[in-house]
Amino acid sequence: MTHARRLTLAHMWLAFAAFGVAVVLGVWQMWARSPIPAPLHTPDNYFLAVTAHGVSMAYVLPTFVVMGFGYFVAETALRRPLPFPAWGWAGFWLGVAGSVLAAATIFAGRASVLYTFYPPLTATPFFYIGLVLVVVGSWVWCALMIIAMAQWKGENPGKPVPLAMFATVANAVMWLWTTVGVAAELLFQVIPAAFGWVDTLDVGLSRTLFSWTLHAIVYFWLIPSYIAFYTMAPQAAGGRLYSDTMGRLTFILFLIYSLPVGMHHLFMDPEQSTGFKFLQMTLTALVAAPTLLTVFTITASMEVAGRMRGGTGLFGWIKALPWDRPMVLTTGLAFFMLWFGGGGGLINMSYGMNAMVHNTSWVTAHFHLIFGGTVVIMYFAIAYAIWPTLTGRAFASNRPLRLQLWLWFVGMMVMTLPWHYLGLQGQWRRVSEFNYADPNIAGWGPWVVVSLLGGLVLLVSGLMFLWNLFGLHRAPLAARLPDIRYALAVHPPVRVPAALNGFRMWNVVVAALMLLAYGFPIAQFFLNSPPEAIVHRTVAGN
Amino acid sequence: MEHADADPKVLDQPWRIWATAAIASVAAAGLLLGMIVLPVVQGRNAGISAFDAICRALGIQAGSPAMPQPPSAAQAIPVTQVAWSAELIRDLEQADRRNGEAIASQTCFACHGERGFAPDNRNPNLAGQSALAIYKQLHDYRSDSRFNDQMTPIAKALDDRQLIDVTAYYAYLTTGAIDPTTAQVGDEEIVRLVERGDQSRNLPACSSCHGRRAGGPTETPSLVGQNEGYLIAQLQLYRSGERKNDIYHRMRSVARQLTDREIARLARYYSTTLRQ
Ligand code: HEC
Ligand code: HEC
Ligand code: HEM
Ligand SMILES: [Cu+2]
Repeated sequence: MTHARRLTLAHMWLAFAAFGVAVVLGVWQMWARSPIPAPLHTPDNYFLAVTAHGVSMAYVLPTFVVMGFGYFVAETALRRPLPFPAWGWAGFWLGVAGSVLAAATIFAGRASVLYTFYPPLTATPFFYIGLVLVVVGSWVWCALMIIAMAQWKGENPGKPVPLAMFATVANAVMWLWTTVGVAAELLFQVIPAAFGWVDTLDVGLSRTLFSWTLHAIVYFWLIPSYIAFYTMAPQAAGGRLYSDTMGRLTFILFLIYSLPVGMHHLFMDPEQSTGFKFLQMTLTALVAAPTLLTVFTITASMEVAGRMRGGTGLFGWIKALPWDRPMVLTTGLAFFMLWFGGGGGLINMSYGMNAMVHNTSWVTAHFHLIFGGTVVIMYFAIAYAIWPTLTGRAFASNRPLRLQLWLWFVGMMVMTLPWHYLGLQGQWRRVSEFNYADPNIAGWGPWVVVSLLGGLVLLVSGLMFLWNLFGLHRAPLAARLPDIRYALAVHPPVRVPAALNGFRMWNVVVAALMLLAYGFPIAQFFLNSPPEAIVHRTVAGN
Repeated sequence: MEHADADPKVLDQPWRIWATAAIASVAAAGLLLGMIVLPVVQGRNAGISAFDAICRALGIQAGSPAMPQPPSAAQAIPVTQVAWSAELIRDLEQADRRNGEAIASQTCFACHGERGFAPDNRNPNLAGQSALAIYKQLHDYRSDSRFNDQMTPIAKALDDRQLIDVTAYYAYLTTGAIDPTTAQVGDEEIVRLVERGDQSRNLPACSSCHGRRAGGPTETPSLVGQNEGYLIAQLQLYRSGERKNDIYHRMRSVARQLTDREIARLARYYSTTLRQ
């Protein structure tokens, strides 16, 4: 560990600082939506808070965790120093500048347009510019990951790239593709409108471009968790990875099927035709494949570990697993939430059923469960796993870590299950308050209060997480620097086909699928220009 | 996996071929179902020809392949004839204020005042009103969407150009500062109505639309410093439905919930408040 140590710590602490602020806002939002009067509750404050919470949780937290973890993997899995570390720092400071700019505009009340922007609403242009800076910083990271892998391959011809790094680069390549949509929307439509250079804007086009990004970005958030499933959990359980090939296939499938599917966020939109929606729905069904592969492979790996530890019988191996280790425990909890979250996702992606849940609280509950639950709890586990290596200190006891993880799991279940139910009752998302005097709505009250209790448990857990990490920095230095080891496969690969060792072929496949899925849907706005919407400035004076 | 010394080609080629074939066949299945099979079947049930159904599924013809265009003889009568477009907004920004002033001095000063402050409390102040709000109301008088014995004939006498110019003139005038001694900021209940609304009556906060950067409809007028008598009259007209040029019933549904007492106090609040 040479360069990446401080780089990783800087990225991760930025991510977790944003997380700390956003958790507090999240609880206040749930409170505001409940029948219990909340302090400072006005619609203005509500939408300001949701913008800050959404931007922090969806953009700042995952982007910096992915980048920081990527730098860590590049040095520890490849066992060579990170190339061009100065560029890594440049990317980081760009990201810091962008995050600070975005936060300043939001808290000044000049950017309450939520994290999805909602054109033709426009905020102050500096809000979007801040986010663009974050994205540009992350592109630097993508380049460094690709270079690190290419250099390693040059030094190790014919050898398989370690799975952790292969997956990290898959994510970097995917992120480059992913950001094209939102970058085009911001640079060519929203920012010119926010500056007042144009008076109208094609909302159909901007929604289509955002959809390009919107699905793949969730896999960008998810992939670190999957890297931990494949390369850290089996090791922590004292076993081996059941199949290295399955791992490679999983990350490749994520790369190719995360992108041409975003239109499943537009099922209820009028600007696209049914045929393309159906096509993208079909392709969406395929992104379930890598998750099923993962559930199978990781369960098998855990079974290997359990049996190596003396577990017998049909389920005996489960009991034999070392559940006291945070990574093993978290993998179990994450899988449990993935089960519910994945089921909800299948409902969302079904063209017909989507009509029932569209724009209801069901959707917010769903992504809190899968993203705030499965994904974020794995971020915690990753942090716990790498912090000793980063700081040269060891946790004195795993008990506070386990307690924190259990609280997050319990809080998330308690918060999201009633929230799903409310969605089915027709509760809207993205509204600042409910009229509990209305007899149709009064019945929602108790369920929201339960969600709020879940949120409070999450708040406690989130703060404990920060406290646990913070505490480690002040612990005495360990005698021996703890090292990170990634899981070996049951049959470690000696030579893999080029297709499973790089991304050249898959980039061609992505390009072809994107052309098929988004070519005409985007071209139509230029071939037959529909009337545009008048830009609606939410901020006076620009 | 496999042997380290195997010829890379032998290992790589089947991968390339099989992966491409698998991906292409799934995409083809999606295309076949979504663009041909389903639209044709659904179109048949909806009485749409196979060709049209496929074109609709592709997005080169409007409509859904599963639904016939609803035949309807009903004619929608819009509450206003104003349609906001970028050109119109640009015209308003580039209007000839001098010409506007000339028209105003001839026809409007008597009732709306020279600097946009109406001498009679029942007539509206126009100073500091947004151009979009003034334009919409004048246009509505002219098209009979809003009716008033005094204003309707005056608006009908203006042509498009004049209407835009006179709008620009009044929108350009700034509101005078309200005399702080007349400000009535102590009315807690009304401040709550303005800033928070009243959930129990489904009343949104007035300031969610009438605020400064509230993000309400484009044409929302400013109420700050408006004349008390005029405000009372308008809220009553909305409530009775006599004034009905508000798009989507926005103001009628608000006013219907207000009591006489609230109307009076809201009018007092807006006519005297210092807040934006
Ligand atoms: C004879 C008096 C009179 C004259 C002259 C007059 N107005 Fe008016 N104006 C009124 C009255 C009274 C109202 C309120 C009418 C109502 O209740 O609908 C009004 C309303 C308006 C409104 C609507 C304001 C709002 O906030 O909705 C506008 C705009 C307006 N006048 C512009 C003009 C212009 C421009 C002229 C000159 C071309 C003009 N008026 C001439 C009496 C007059
Ligand atoms: C949903 C948005 C919305 C809300 C909430 C709202 N208004 Fe309005 N209001 C409008 C719009 C838009 C107009 C202009 C309607 C038209 O085109 O004629 C208007 C017009 C008015 C007018 C007429 C002004 C004039 O110059 O003629 C008054 C008075 C008024 N509103 C008062 C109120 C009060 C008081 C409240 C709160 C109790 C309120 N409004 C809440 C949108 C709203
Ligand atoms: C203490 C825990 C949390 C609570 C109580 C909470 C609560 C909320 C609430 C009430 C909303 C507003 C929903 C609406 O208006 O419809 C919201 C939005 C959001 N939350 Fe959370 N949240 C928490 C944690 C998280 C986590 C961990 C993430 C992901 C990392 C997350 C991501 C988001 C996003 C992206 C939005 C924006 C949604 C939108 O704009 O519609 N939240 N949250
Ligand atoms: Cu999606």
